[in-house]
Amino acid sequence: MTIGRVRLLTQLRDVQIVDRDDRDCGIVDDVELQGGPGEGLRVTAILVGPGAYRARLPRWAMRLVALIAGDRMVRVPWGEVAYISSTVQLAQTAQAYGLAEAEERARRLLPGIGGIDAPQ
Amino acid sequence: MKITELTLGILTAVGGFVDVSELVFMAQAGSRFQYALVWVIVVATVGMMVFGEMSGRVAAIAKQPVFNMMRHRLGLNLGLVTLIASLISNTITCAAEIGGVGIVLHLLTGFGLVPMAIAATFVFVATIWLLPFKWIERTYGLLGLFMVVFAVALVAIEPPWGEIVKGLVPQVPAGLSTTELLTYGYFAVAIVSAVMFPYESYFYSSGAIEEKWSEKDLGLNRLTTTVGFGLGSLLGIAILASSAQLFGPQGISPELPGTTALEAAIPFGRVGLLLALLGMLFAIAGAAIETCLSNAYSISQFFGWRWGRHLKPHQAPRFTFAWLAVFAIALAIVLTGIEPVALAEYAVVASILVLPLTYLPILLLAGDRSYMREHANGRIAKTLGWAYYALIVVAALGALPLYLLTEGGKL
Repeated sequence: MTIGRVRLLTQLRDVQIVDRDDRDCGIVDDVELQGGPGEGLRVTAILVGPGAYRARLPRWAMRLVALIAGDRMVRVPWGEVAYISSTVQLAQTAQAYGLAEAEERARRLLPGIGGIDAPQ
Repeated sequence: MKITELTLGILTAVGGFVDVSELVFMAQAGSRFQYALVWVIVVATVGMMVFGEMSGRVAAIAKQPVFNMMRHRLGLNLGLVTLIASLISNTITCAAEIGGVGIVLHLLTGFGLVPMAIAATFVFVATIWLLPFKWIERTYGLLGLFMVVFAVALVAIEPPWGEIVKGLVPQVPAGLSTTELLTYGYFAVAIVSAVMFPYESYFYSSGAIEEKWSEKDLGLNRLTTTVGFGLGSLLGIAILASSAQLFGPQGISPELPGTTALEAAIPFGRVGLLLALLGMLFAIAGAAIETCLSNAYSISQFFGWRWGRHLKPHQAPRFTFAWLAVFAIALAIVLTGIEPVALAEYAVVASILVLPLTYLPILLLAGDRSYMREHANGRIAKTLGWAYYALIVVAALGALPLYLLTEGGKL
């Protein structure tokens, strides 16, 4: 998928990610760039998960975040971004990128009961 | 527009507006300063209407819950500071609500506060686990309407209406000593904080997203924020005014929620007392659930997890663990033996410190035409929004010094 120019700070970083099925699956916590002196910069991947905060937060804050949300990070190749609006939509399901692992681990600890459907 | 849809506003107004902090501060304010703080309730309520309407509008148009936009607009560092500060203040508030429910159940049943607080927490967990969002809001919102007995009780004791009306005019009572002036200032700040608790906007906007609000719901949003919050405001004024009439002249300081319930018992006897206690029970219980869910919403939105009560608990597992953890921590705070009334005071001070960070992104996004299109803040909303923002910044700056100088309003 080709996406043209993107404003990194306002359109991409810290924006909600949803997968192909519109499921919330993280935030664009940082971006991976490629380029060199005199060349243009190209986004090569989005980095998802609190592990990507390392370069953005002081160490004490990172420890606190790890305590609440872990410190995992997943790299999603830029080509997997389907389109960008108020959210960043991925081309595949969250499972395909390993973005659902923490959710799955937590799910296994919960009973599959509960939650009565409200009548329409 | 269905009448039942208004219950979202009623829940926020009754369960959120009238919570344990509200009961404690309104009654004490009336007893100590008569009707001189009525205007603060009105001013703060209009502020809550302004920001509540904006957060609902942003949820309906930009489809952005508060903490998503908080992080996007404030950046990771400031967003994280806001998250942590609001988690702390909401958890203390949740503990105060659980303790408040424990007190009311103790008064109703005679069992100890601690076992009642534990039992109530289990009921809250079962409620959120089992019931759909709409049912939670209807159960606690509608049963919280027993609180109307406070308004009826005020009419029954035939208060000096002229004095209450005079209290609507912004004022500083004459003849107060410096200490009394500081205490008056502390109560004014505490009322602003209790009325504009940050969890209310988190809960309100997240609820709007859960209910999939869109452009067609803007009318409902306007109605719930004005009528719903207005109703809550009237109950707050009734509690303050009854206290001014019944407790102030006797030199009684109604520090405990049970004393506030006497406002309905004096004119209506046992029935009044029972209705007041039931109203307080459901209103405070509603607030306990709102504060807990607000924290779970905040964490989930900040980290981009699946969230929402429209999903079954195992479909949003990290969100589920978040609210379970908040209840566990809040209950643990109650079990340390800290008085629920002291917790309510801490909650109010902690919350006002968070308010400027909470409302700034809402104000910025509600005025951003690239997100909100023709529904961006107009001239009136913009003027009111920034005026109230300045007010809460001043209140936040004054809160801690006033709390320390007046020993939490006890001087």
